[in-house]
Amino acid sequence: MALLTEVQKNYGKLKNFVNGEWIESTTDKWLDIENPSTGAIIGQVPMSTVDETKAAIEAAHEAWWAWRETPPIARARLFFKLKELMEQHFENVARIMVQEQGKTIDEARGETRRAIENVEVAAGIPSLMMGYNLEDGAAEGIDEDAVISPLGVFGAICPFNFPAMIPFWFWPYAVATGNAYIVKPSSQVPLTMNYLTKIVEQAGFPPGILNLVNGSHEVSDTMMEHPKVKGISFVGSTPVAKYIYKHSAENGKRVQAQGGAKNSLVVMPDANLDRTVANMLASYYGCAGQRCLAGSNMIAVGNVADPLLKKWLEGTKKIKMGYGLDESVNMGPVVSAKAKKKVIEYIDGAEKQGAKVLIDGRKAVVPGYEKGHFVGPTVIDGVTPDMTIAKDEVFGPVVSFMRMESLDEAIDFIHSSPFGNAASIYTQSGRSARDFRYRVQCGNIGINVGIVAAMAYFPFAGYKNSFFGDLHGQGQDAIKFFTDRKVVITRWY
Amino acid sequence: MVECDFPECTTFGAVIRFSLELEKGAAGIYEELAKEPKAASAAALFKELSELHKKRGTMLENMRQQKLNEMILEPIQDMNRELYLIDTNVPKGADAKAAAKFVTKVEETSARFYVDAAKIAKTIMAEGSRFMDKMGKENLAIRTKLAAL
Repeated sequence: MALLTEVQKNYGKLKNFVNGEWIESTTDKWLDIENPSTGAIIGQVPMSTVDETKAAIEAAHEAWWAWRETPPIARARLFFKLKELMEQHFENVARIMVQEQGKTIDEARGETRRAIENVEVAAGIPSLMMGYNLEDGAAEGIDEDAVISPLGVFGAICPFNFPAMIPFWFWPYAVATGNAYIVKPSSQVPLTMNYLTKIVEQAGFPPGILNLVNGSHEVSDTMMEHPKVKGISFVGSTPVAKYIYKHSAENGKRVQAQGGAKNSLVVMPDANLDRTVANMLASYYGCAGQRCLAGSNMIAVGNVADPLLKKWLEGTKKIKMGYGLDESVNMGPVVSAKAKKKVIEYIDGAEKQGAKVLIDGRKAVVPGYEKGHFVGPTVIDGVTPDMTIAKDEVFGPVVSFMRMESLDEAIDFIHSSPFGNAASIYTQSGRSARDFRYRVQCGNIGINVGIVAAMAYFPFAGYKNSFFGDLHGQGQDAIKFFTDRKVVITRWY
Repeated sequence: MVECDFPECTTFGAVIRFSLELEKGAAGIYEELAKEPKAASAAALFKELSELHKKRGTMLENMRQQKLNEMILEPIQDMNRELYLIDTNVPKGADAKAAAKFVTKVEETSARFYVDAAKIAKTIMAEGSRFMDKMGKENLAIRTKLAAL
């Protein structure tokens, strides 16, 4: 099968998008953007300066009031236009994502759809941000209203694993509610958001309403510290999420900071094994295990362990690895050489601690893509709760196979984790499923579903060290995060 | 010859790609046959069928774009592409009967593919499954039309 065509071989030096203009950074620090499947350099991204970030914040602040005065229905029209343009550019967005991130084309298409879905939901803003009132609510002849108002300028600091979807968890809601926005994409994968911002520009959003500033922690710190920024949304690792939460809060910002994960998928003896294995293959190996919702620990309860492991190994051996622009590929590389090294170290560590590597992806090579950062699907048996691999976030296609006696033991183990992003159960028993969803302390629970990714109209975040903040991403939570409630009490003589 | 590139059917996207190649192949074959002087009596039908296959391709692309959800991107491990390959070497100088015989095989192979793909798609996307099932039946209906030539 021939590869799908790359949109461009090289994207050159990226610019920032500030106040409706594409501006070249004055920085002398540029990073190469690498295609993780081929190792080819496909562009350069600037590490923008503090002054450039401040200029973007000022531009956003200058733009937001007129935008706030634009009726919600008129704001919504731009999102309808944007949706249409994103549909037209759908395939290009997906292919650029494959080029810079390494996921498969199907995964990239799925992600592009997710981004569009957030635009679709944000287009409903006239209904979503309505306030409420009560006649004589304060006293006889005195009415009380709660008005929902935007706040000003918000910013997002985005990770490498979902270059299209994650910025779209935030900015469409912020802008639809009448705020201005600054996106800092991951410097590892800035191309997708760069392309999407061109589409946003084409849709006709006013200058300064959506700004794109490429860079590193200097950009993030400037956004967190600037008095004109009202709130920060972040997705990334737990240590950084903690820092973002603390530092933004110290500077009086609203924060929603999504951190790492360590997700366990529990298989009960009554599970439908064929369907379970098929579904879990997508969870553990999809996006090369680099989803914050990816399965990591596989907990077999009771006598299901041996038949489950047998089927799992059979399924794993059939996973086809390669460049995601080949549509028959099931799994791409991890994002970088550094990420690959980290995953391999975890597998080495598990082996040293006594676990047995049944399928070993450490030396995986894809013919024709020898410079790619591929880690093959890896299955480790005999993992126990005290092992590092059972506790730490690996962020790679590695399955830690664990055996437990009961659902209670599995839930206790899940609760022992400092993370609380997602957990799933595979069972045909309503009782077990109910028990699981009721008791498990995670933000996302799957019942016979291994990738518990909330849709745009539902909130998304984890519990415990997987999330710092209170209002989640997407849906009604996003509307609340980007607005405030103002009470107006009225009396006319 | 109509250029087609059939992938291994290991993902839902690859199954759709296979379908798109089948449709592209069929549309191209009918287009070439419609130009055959000896098959002139069937030219109108061949043109119509070429358009039909192009339309089906567009519908498949739309379905992929609108309905694909990463939650259901389960690997597909039971479809053997070799069973569904079509011959895209269009015979030169074929009369209507020979041309009909050639495309009948294409339609039968496509029908077989869609029947099997519909079963697999059932657990992934109900509408996709229904659409493929419908296309398979359509392939067989076309075969009947071709038999009348």
